[in-house]
Amino acid sequence: MILALVCCTLASGAWAADAGNHEGATKENVANVARPQFSPYAGRSYPTRVFFGDTHLHTAISVDAGTMCRIGQEDAFRFARGEEIATTYGLRAKLSRPLDFLVISDHAEMYGLMPQLLSGDPEILATETGRKWYGELTSGDQDKIFATAMEIVVSLSGDEPPIKSDQAVRSAWEAYTALADKYNEPGRFTAIIGFEWTAIGGFNLHRNVLFRGDSSVANRTVPFSQFDSKNPEDLWKHLDAFETKTGGQVLAIPHNGNLSNGRMFTVETFGGKPLTKGLATMRARFEPLVETTQIKGDSEAHPFLSPNDEFADYEKWDKSNLNGTEAKKPGMLQYEYTRAALKNGLLLERTLGVNPFKFGMVGSTDAHTAMTAGEEDNFFGKHSGVEPGPHRWEHVVIEAPDPKFTIKGWQQAAAGYAGVWATENTREAIFDAMMRKETYATTGPRMVVRFFGGWDFTAADAQSRLPAGVGYAKGVPMGGDLRKAPGGKAPTFLVAAMKDSYSGNLDRIQIVKGWLDKDDKTHEQVYDVAWSGDRKPGADGKLPPVGNTVDVAKATWTNTIGSPELSTTWTDPDFDAKQPAFYYARVIEIPTPRWTAYEAQRFGITMSADVPMTTQERAYTSPIWYSPGT
Amino acid sequence: MRRVLREPLLHFLLLGAVIFVAYGLVSKRTSGEPGTIVITRGQVASMVEGFTRAWHRPPTRGELQGLVQERVRDEVYSREAMALGLDKDDTVIRRRLRQKMEFVSDDIAIQTEPSDADLTAYLEAHPDSFRVEQRFTFRQVYLNPERHGENLVPDAERLLARLNRADDEDDASALGDSFLLEHQFAEVPASEVAKQFGEPFAARLGGLAPGRWWGPVESGYGVHLVFVSHRTEGRLPMLAEVRDAVRREWDNERRLKANERFYQELLRRYTVTIEAAEPAAANTIAANEGQ
Repeated sequence: MILALVCCTLASGAWAADAGNHEGATKENVANVARPQFSPYAGRSYPTRVFFGDTHLHTAISVDAGTMCRIGQEDAFRFARGEEIATTYGLRAKLSRPLDFLVISDHAEMYGLMPQLLSGDPEILATETGRKWYGELTSGDQDKIFATAMEIVVSLSGDEPPIKSDQAVRSAWEAYTALADKYNEPGRFTAIIGFEWTAIGGFNLHRNVLFRGDSSVANRTVPFSQFDSKNPEDLWKHLDAFETKTGGQVLAIPHNGNLSNGRMFTVETFGGKPLTKGLATMRARFEPLVETTQIKGDSEAHPFLSPNDEFADYEKWDKSNLNGTEAKKPGMLQYEYTRAALKNGLLLERTLGVNPFKFGMVGSTDAHTAMTAGEEDNFFGKHSGVEPGPHRWEHVVIEAPDPKFTIKGWQQAAAGYAGVWATENTREAIFDAMMRKETYATTGPRMVVRFFGGWDFTAADAQSRLPAGVGYAKGVPMGGDLRKAPGGKAPTFLVAAMKDSYSGNLDRIQIVKGWLDKDDKTHEQVYDVAWSGDRKPGADGKLPPVGNTVDVAKATWTNTIGSPELSTTWTDPDFDAKQPAFYYARVIEIPTPRWTAYEAQRFGITMSADVPMTTQERAYTSPIWYSPGT
Repeated sequence: MRRVLREPLLHFLLLGAVIFVAYGLVSKRTSGEPGTIVITRGQVASMVEGFTRAWHRPPTRGELQGLVQERVRDEVYSREAMALGLDKDDTVIRRRLRQKMEFVSDDIAIQTEPSDADLTAYLEAHPDSFRVEQRFTFRQVYLNPERHGENLVPDAERLLARLNRADDEDDASALGDSFLLEHQFAEVPASEVAKQFGEPFAARLGGLAPGRWWGPVESGYGVHLVFVSHRTEGRLPMLAEVRDAVRREWDNERRLKANERFYQELLRRYTVTIEAAEPAAANTIAANEGQ
């Protein structure tokens, strides 16, 4: 009997360790750290390093990018790894520092078509449309060439692919996965295999699908495209079937809620019926993350939804949907922005039993230039029609039927990247960290951010030399859960951030709280929890701004304000143990020059008065959720 | 049709079409024969002007040469691809056709497997690309400038003295200001140190003698006191250790070389004349050479 119990304990311990590896560091399996040992570094299984990367990049393989950009997937990997490459226009380009990982996520729709078409690939020429397009593109007739290019781009959003060659897609996909394996160097650079499902072009329900495994896993499918289905529910079913059939693991990351005109975080099914528990469960399972910030605007918060948040009006694209065919109405906003979705998720959990919007945060670029260039002083634009040049700030990026919805170059944000707390720089470790949401979004700079929640953090913990050790021992990291408050206690949070040494000092750390009351109403509050200098909140409760050292004309700033590092322990002063809630940290830098200021200075131009010249870069961590029940 | 009008590509291609038609009506083309490429004085001048407008200085001789050669290359490829003597102003179309030709030569290139001898030769010719990096085992103590203000340097020096006096290994992690990066690093490659602390810090590390505390060493975060306990020198690896990486780089180089060889083959079929620049332009370029 005792032997059986011992065996069970050992077995369950081993299982927990394995589950621990998949789920990552848990409160249970790092508890051993707290026990004093001679070496404080022994026995750690939690992540000690954050890895930065881009989860969303397009190259000439994508049908739309391929009409303008010359750079393929190979150079895209090399650029992300820190090498210098030649751009489509012959400039030399290089990142300030290599990234740790990259997902090249070319569009699934007619994957690989443009290079194949232009090289006269026999598979493509075997189709009638392929022959027709090839003839037109090589005819020398300008009008024909132009019309064909347009036809190709527009067909991305059609109901049927104009060229349907499964063999052509498969060969392009397999060439890509082999290339990704080639550039994947565990411990040094991770090439995660992925693609973008580009449904409903104008209303942006797009998702990036990421694979945990290598080409042998990814080659057991081809990219699921919007020609297969425009319904995200079908995407989840497809991913589920893939996992069941192959044992592989995949996840999907939606983006640009801000351009979906209320459709991204809808509380209905795709067919307009009330959401079901089954669908909510699928969404929660396959979409552990949301891409909250990128070139096409920032979707964290909106001033209309958060009028008391002085930082909410940041890089907003809020006039219309993606291609300007439908104006945006205020009622749509709560179904577009991530803070609002997190709040609505709490209510859906109460009514359905599952929270479909229980997601973590990442940032990425969505660049169509094959260059993952999200730095303010090194920004190559959304697509190759707006690469650096004296007029790109006023060039059209996305043309709309109504000019007031047309997006101009200066509106692009030089953003963003994903920070991932993984145990090592490998596909498996990074994917697993994404599944447990131990990630944060940044608008470009690589600040280091730690965020832990628990019941027993003290002020002394914020001064600890090993904040991570204390954090994992006494609480859960970003992406984690707290449940059932011990009698009389309020949740405590240990948060620390360190600037990117290439970027501005830090202004402040905030904690954003959202909660649900007993009348099914959601609320939010932003708390300033740590800040530089000796500022004090004013009579209105607001902390004074940190100041501004930006010299716009020279496009420089000085780190004489702000702090390189901030950390604190904070207890929720308004906690009600019966109210479900989430908390996430937002870290804000001092003002630094926006890419438009670098542009104006480099090309000696003056931009119109409505163009912002400074920016306060920021990071958003994944939330920690509190639930009153078990 | 409305959607078609919205695409930004429209602007390029329409403009190109307009210029092409206008040019055809207005000028007498001199480079109509298939075997001759002439880059005219006017074209060279317009390259200089375009460059100057964008970068606020005229191109150097080398840069202008590069621009001209790129133009020749585009011309060769587009003619070969289209078999028509058109003088297009549409850069985008020209580049697309060039890419098509490059794909053709790519296909030709991917025929042979490299032997071990091929890869070893490549490894020996490019040691810096594959060098196994210097690795450091070190500890660091951080001082936050905001906490110390004017006393930063004296505080750092005082702490340095104390660290060098202390016997107990564990003391170091309790000193200095709290910091989010690790205190202790084991066998970390120089590039990783640079990623986390910045290039100057990594460079300094290489010069610190192991066995005692040194500092203050600056990073983008502030200052650090550093104890290097071990440095593993960089070395050239054996092929077996880096075969995958060497293969990848070898493939990449072969792709580029094959493209170049293919282009040179095509170029042989043409006589290329580049008209000498106007004296004024030549002066501008010469003046710029000194910069």
